[in-house]
Amino acid sequence: MSLSVRVPTRLKRRRTPLSGGSVWRTIGIVLLWLFVAFNVAGLIWVIFQAFRDTRSILSSPFGLPESWSFENFTTAWQVSDFATATFNSVSVALISSVLTVALAAPAAYYLSRHESRLNRNLTLFFILGLGVPVQVILIPLFVMLNEVNLTNSLIGLNLVYIGVSMPFTVFLLTGFFRSLPIELEEAAALDGASPAGTFVRIMLPVAKGGILTAFVLQLISHWNETLLALTLLQSTDKYTLPVALISFVQQQTYSGADWGGLFAGLCIVILPLLAVYLWLGRKLSEGLTLGMGK
Amino acid sequence: MSLKAPERSVDPVDSGGASGTPKAKKGRDSGGSMVAQRRKLMIPFVGPALLFYLVLFIIPTGAAVWISFNKWAGSGPMTWVGFSNYTALFKDDLFKQALWNTLLLLVVVGVVMFVLAFAMTLVLRDMAGRKIARSIIFFPHLINALVYGVLAGFLFNPGGLVNTLLKPLGVTDPPQWLAQDNLFPLIMLTLTFMTTGYYTTILMAGVDRIPPYYYEDCAMAGANAWQRLRYVILPLTWDVFGVCAVLWTISSVKIFEIVWVFGGSSGSGIPPTQTWTAAVYTYATAFSGESLPAYGAATASAIISLALVTVLVVLIRRVMRRDVIEF
Repeated sequence: MSLSVRVPTRLKRRRTPLSGGSVWRTIGIVLLWLFVAFNVAGLIWVIFQAFRDTRSILSSPFGLPESWSFENFTTAWQVSDFATATFNSVSVALISSVLTVALAAPAAYYLSRHESRLNRNLTLFFILGLGVPVQVILIPLFVMLNEVNLTNSLIGLNLVYIGVSMPFTVFLLTGFFRSLPIELEEAAALDGASPAGTFVRIMLPVAKGGILTAFVLQLISHWNETLLALTLLQSTDKYTLPVALISFVQQQTYSGADWGGLFAGLCIVILPLLAVYLWLGRKLSEGLTLGMGK
Repeated sequence: MSLKAPERSVDPVDSGGASGTPKAKKGRDSGGSMVAQRRKLMIPFVGPALLFYLVLFIIPTGAAVWISFNKWAGSGPMTWVGFSNYTALFKDDLFKQALWNTLLLLVVVGVVMFVLAFAMTLVLRDMAGRKIARSIIFFPHLINALVYGVLAGFLFNPGGLVNTLLKPLGVTDPPQWLAQDNLFPLIMLTLTFMTTGYYTTILMAGVDRIPPYYYEDCAMAGANAWQRLRYVILPLTWDVFGVCAVLWTISSVKIFEIVWVFGGSSGSGIPPTQTWTAAVYTYATAFSGESLPAYGAATASAIISLALVTVLVVLIRRVMRRDVIEF
C-alpha cells in the first residue's frame, strides 16, 4: 500500500528539476561522481600501497601489490613501535569516551528536562566551550598537569580528553534528550519511579541510540586528537598513534623515506575508522549534521 | 507494550531495596516535593560533568588570560607585564604571518568550500544514488588531517605521483611543489578537499527538510532553476548556512596537524614559518624547545585566536540573522 503511494511522489520529485535542468546539471553530476570515485580510489590506493615495498611504490605508484605480504605492517608494528601506540590510542579513546558519555549523559538529561533559568544558563555555559580553540588551554593544562605529575601520563591525557569533550557531548545530548517525549517520564512518575530510577531504567534504554552516537563520535575524535597528545606526552612508550605517526614522519627526513611503512601506518589509523563508519555510518553523519541544523 | 509491564512490576521491588523508597513515596504525595526532589538530583547529575568542565576547561581558559599578561618561562617567577605581550605580538612578523595565514584559511578556504559544497548539494539533492554518494563524501571528515598531510607529501614529492603523471604530458620542469612558498597554497587546497564533503552533508540535511510541494509549486508557477534557488532553497536553508559558517570559523582557527606534518616532513621537524597558523605559532613558541619557552607570548597569541573566534561568531550571527521561516 504505502509503496504504491510513495513511488509517484518520488518520481515527481525527481522529474521536476530535470525539466528545468540543463547541460550544467549533467556536468555537475559527472563532476560529483568523479569526486566520489576519487575518494574511493584514494582510499583503496592507500591500502594497496601499504602492501608494497618503498622501491616499487616509487617506481610505479599505480601498481598493484604483487603479494599480500604484511611486511610493512610488521615492520611498522615492531620496529617503529606502532604496536604500543595503537594500544595506547585504543585504551585512551575507549576509556575517555566511556567516561565522557557517562558524565555528560546525566548532566544533559537533567539540563534538558528541568526548565529553569539556572539550567538554561548552565547549558549555555557548557556550549560556550565549543567556541574556545584548543590552543588556548594548551599551556595552562600542561602546567597544571605538570604540577600533579600527570604529564607524560595516559591518565592525564584521559582526564584532559574528558574535560575537553564536555561542551560538544553535552550540546549533542541535550538536543537529543529534548527530542524524546516527556510523556514517558510522566508515566514513570505516576508509577512511582524515582527521578533517578526514571533516568536509569526508562530514559537510558530509550536514549540508547543517541548515547551510542555520542560515544562513537567521541571515540573518533579522541582517536584522532593530535595537538594535546603531542604536548602532553613525551616518551615513546606513551605515544598515541597520531604522535607516533608524526615522529615516524620526522625520522624519515634523516633515514630516507620508508613509504611502505608510512602507508602501513596510515592504514592503522584509517581502517578502524572505516570499520566504525561501515557499522554506524548513517547515525554518525546524522549526529554530526542534524544536531547542527537545529 | 509488553515490554513495559515487567518494568512496572520490577520498579517497586527494586527501589524497596535501595534508598529510593521514601523518595518514591514523596513523589506520589505531591507535585511540589517532586520538584524539590528533582532539584536535589542536580548535584549528582550535573555535578561531575560540571566539575570536569570547570577544572579542565574553564580554569585553564581563565589561567590562559592571566598568563598572557605575564612574562613567564614555564618555571620560576612570573612577571606582570600588562599588555606588552600583545603589543610585542603585533610587532612580530612571524605572528602577523601566522594570523594572516589563519585568516586566509578561514576566508579563502571557507568561501571556496562553501561554494563547492552548495553546488554539490544542489546536484546531490535529487540525484540518483544520492545516499551512497553522500555517505562516501562524508567519510574523509572522520580521518585525521595528518593522513592528508602525509599523502600530499607523497603526491607532491619531486619524484612523487604528481610529477610522474605530468611527465607524459610534456612537463619536464615541474614546479617545486614543496618549496617553502608553495606549501601554504597546497595546504589550502588539501583542506578544501578534506572539508567540502562534510559541509555538503550538513547543507544537505538542511535542504532535505524542504518539503517537496514547494518545488511542485515552483514548477506550477513556471519558476526557472535560478528562481527556485533564490526564492525557495536559499531562504529555507539560511539558518543552516549560518550554523556552517560558525562551525567553520571555530574549526579553522584551531587547524594544526596538517600544517605540522606538511612542513615537518620537509625539514627539521618544525614547519617553515611561511606556513604557520595561529595554533602552530602558539605550540611552537611554547614547546619547540629551541629557545627559552615564552609562555606569556604563546598564550597571548592563543587569546587573540579566541578573540578572533568570538568577534567573528557574533558578527556572523548578526549578519545572518533573519526571521526564522517555519515550515
